[in-house]
Amino acid sequence: MSRTEAHPEPPALAPGEVRTRWIVSTPPILFLSLFFLAPFLIVLLASFQYPGEFGGLAPLLAQGDSPDHGLTWENYQFFFSDTLFAEIFLKSFLVAALSTLLCLVMAYPVAWLIARSPKGRRDLLVLLVILPFASNFLIRVYAWMIILGPQQALAQGVNWVLSALGQEPVNLLFSPFAVLVGMVYVHLPFMILPLATNLEKHDPLWLDAARDLGATSWQRFWRVTWPLSLPGVFAGSALVFIPVLGMFAIPDILGGTRDMLIGNLIKDQFLGVRDWPFGATLSILLTLAVLGLAGLATWAGKPRRGHD
Amino acid sequence: MTRPSPWLLLAAGLVYAFLYLPLAIVVAYSFNDSRLNAEWVGFTLDWYRTLFNDGEMLLAARNSLLIAFTASLSATVLGTLAGMAMHRYRFRFLPFLVITPVAMPEILLGVSLLVFFLQALHLTLGMVSVILAHITFSIGFVAIVVRVRLHGLDEKIFEAARDLGATPWQTFRWVTFPLILPAMAAGMLMAFALSLDDFVITFFTAGVGVSTLPLQIYSMIKIAVTPEVNAVSTLLMLLTLVLVIAASRLDKTFMKGAA
Amino acid sequence: MSQVMLVLFLWFTSLAQAADTLYLYNWNNYISDATIARFEKQCGCKVVQDYYSDNEEMLAKLAAGATGYDLIVPTGNAVEALIRSKQLRPIDKSKLPHLKNIKPEFMNRFFDPGNRYSVPYAYTVTLIGYNTARIQALSLPTNTWALIFEPRYLKKIKGRVTVLDSQRELMAAAMLYLGYDINDTDEAKWKQARDLILRAKPYWAAFNASSYIKELTLGNIWVVHGYSNDIFQADADAQAAGRPFRIASALPREGAVLALDSMVLHKTGRHPELARRFIDFMLEGQNSAELTNLIGSGNPNQEAMRYISPEIADNRAVFPDASVMAHLEMMRDLDRKSRRVLNRIWTEIKLR
Repeated sequence: MSRTEAHPEPPALAPGEVRTRWIVSTPPILFLSLFFLAPFLIVLLASFQYPGEFGGLAPLLAQGDSPDHGLTWENYQFFFSDTLFAEIFLKSFLVAALSTLLCLVMAYPVAWLIARSPKGRRDLLVLLVILPFASNFLIRVYAWMIILGPQQALAQGVNWVLSALGQEPVNLLFSPFAVLVGMVYVHLPFMILPLATNLEKHDPLWLDAARDLGATSWQRFWRVTWPLSLPGVFAGSALVFIPVLGMFAIPDILGGTRDMLIGNLIKDQFLGVRDWPFGATLSILLTLAVLGLAGLATWAGKPRRGHD
Repeated sequence: MTRPSPWLLLAAGLVYAFLYLPLAIVVAYSFNDSRLNAEWVGFTLDWYRTLFNDGEMLLAARNSLLIAFTASLSATVLGTLAGMAMHRYRFRFLPFLVITPVAMPEILLGVSLLVFFLQALHLTLGMVSVILAHITFSIGFVAIVVRVRLHGLDEKIFEAARDLGATPWQTFRWVTFPLILPAMAAGMLMAFALSLDDFVITFFTAGVGVSTLPLQIYSMIKIAVTPEVNAVSTLLMLLTLVLVIAASRLDKTFMKGAA
Repeated sequence: MSQVMLVLFLWFTSLAQAADTLYLYNWNNYISDATIARFEKQCGCKVVQDYYSDNEEMLAKLAAGATGYDLIVPTGNAVEALIRSKQLRPIDKSKLPHLKNIKPEFMNRFFDPGNRYSVPYAYTVTLIGYNTARIQALSLPTNTWALIFEPRYLKKIKGRVTVLDSQRELMAAAMLYLGYDINDTDEAKWKQARDLILRAKPYWAAFNASSYIKELTLGNIWVVHGYSNDIFQADADAQAAGRPFRIASALPREGAVLALDSMVLHKTGRHPELARRFIDFMLEGQNSAELTNLIGSGNPNQEAMRYISPEIADNRAVFPDASVMAHLEMMRDLDRKSRRVLNRIWTEIKLR
């Protein structure tokens, strides 16, 4: 994202501009306050309410004979009452981290190729990366159901190798592997694009200089390219990590018997088990975790920006 | 310019193959003469014929396009204002408001809007709630593209306009607007594509009689995914391809903006 | 510019819907297109459907405040929740001349005594579906839940079994196998059921409530815990695709869950009169039979039996004998405390 770039300070405001400033700023601020900030605060409030008997939320004020009204810590206590829910958080973060890592490994050669290609071909290569993620994502996930099916070449091949090694056959579909493939596939372009944008800006002279100083190709990558590409790596990682964390459709479609992630758990609270307050609690805790992580990443990324 | 090593080419080629293998299957199976949609039987155009006679699917497509059009247009206006405000005026608060909906897991936005619409606004879920939700998550993308564009411009142009006595409106109408128009168009196309493809947020905010293509496809994945879905996806992909090419023609920053 | 405005105007006016439209909130694939077309012709109106694939999904959207649905087709326990939360409109039975077609055993059930709010539509039974060729070759029993819970059977079909991704349904199957009532909310018994499920889980391929139909047809999955109409669909697809096997269903002797779906009027619907006409229309034998012939659902309508294809009418898993029918149980709605207890148990089942 563009936040990683250093921008010159705009000049001071002219006196007549103060009114313009409000005309320009007010509509988006109003809209986002209403449709982003307010909903968020409502979720925060809901996380302290009781669930309604038939779903939804119990009233805040006393109504009829229902004893459950007002605010409560109950939902947070339920979360922290045993390690179960924390384990799901941990597992989701691990899946997100692994997906991010795989995306990074796969994105790097493509981004490098894009960055080092002449102008015309570069645009084509970028377009080729954008195109798949412009089609409907459910359909792409569905295509993986076909590819990973037990009677397809891939599964047959894997199981042939396994049986040659004396192992039991495995299912590729409905497995953590399938979930990971789906996650990586859907989010890969989000890693490639910022990385390519970053690598494009590197001056090839630096690599030439390193070569002249006798650096091997590995050293040139590890000592020159990699540190310089860190802002792109951070931007891409954020764009992969965060969506993976909230994803529920991919585990639903490709997952097996142990692939529940936070996304599924939150979705279930609202559209499965009629426990909105707990769903809200999970949402708030996830937001806190993501913000905390973002803060950590900004802090970790800051000293590196000097290279850019 | 150093020549890329063969290993690098091979690795990149494999990743491209990974990206395109599922797409090839989606497109190929839209011509497959088998309802099961799982193994190749023979070539047919029947699924396209079925698609054009499927009232619900076409209604969903119409809804999707209507929502995408309305939401991207509104998001472009608001996003452009936000981009300008973020560039010109140093509100600490605004980048938070603009960036967070983009950076937050989609499910949180979907859920919070669901609760907000129904419990606070007492709004009946429907086309309007979906459009409002789509505007909310699109503003950030437009704002980012517009801001990147504004940062690339020379401040002296605006100073010159002011020195010549232009009012803020005149400066905007005759100087800023033409310069950021390509970025606005790119942002709008991106918002359009995002809206057309959104499933999670629509899933939570859609109401009676408002099905969109992604929702329709999801419900079909749950029961019977006939190759009709592949046919509609292939057409959708073509549409997106046209949009992306148009966008990249309009503005070179689109590629960066997409990131 | 004026052309642009005109286009915009047309876009926005199409946001508003036509006047006489019946909004039906229905299960996926739960009415025949021909039936809809006939009703539309008869009433001179339009029918717009929204779909859900789970009662809970429908209840959640209604609890969230979704409005505007004239007619909904919930299962018994969901009807109970909707009645108790005062979301339904009473139905004037004197205006339903075809109500007499419903078999008496489907009237006056626990969720709506006297049928003040609901009229039976169709039913499904949750049972075992299997690939005939595979199961015969392995000579496994199909008339018991042991097939999906006992490792000694599961060993032979490891990775070829799916169970429903529904906490109520799966727990009900486990409770039945343990010999308990499906509506028992005793936490200790639930935990026994959980342990039973966790012991069997390593042998299952997935929790799946959707794509198992296709996986059965393809021959990838051999045994499922699923709905009778889905298994019917899988068999029909397998035959259409010329597969060398059939998909059959079996009712476990420990009992099974009966899901009776009923038509109800939602309070926020704006066309109650149209909805009432639709209910009576669906009570006519031929219209009701069309659904059964399409998806193989059970039919509570006496008159419909005349129009139902013999192959389905003779299927004892879809139309069980009276003695078996007495063995089927319907689920009751859970209160919020029990829901949360079950929620945690389910999360544990999913995670471990």
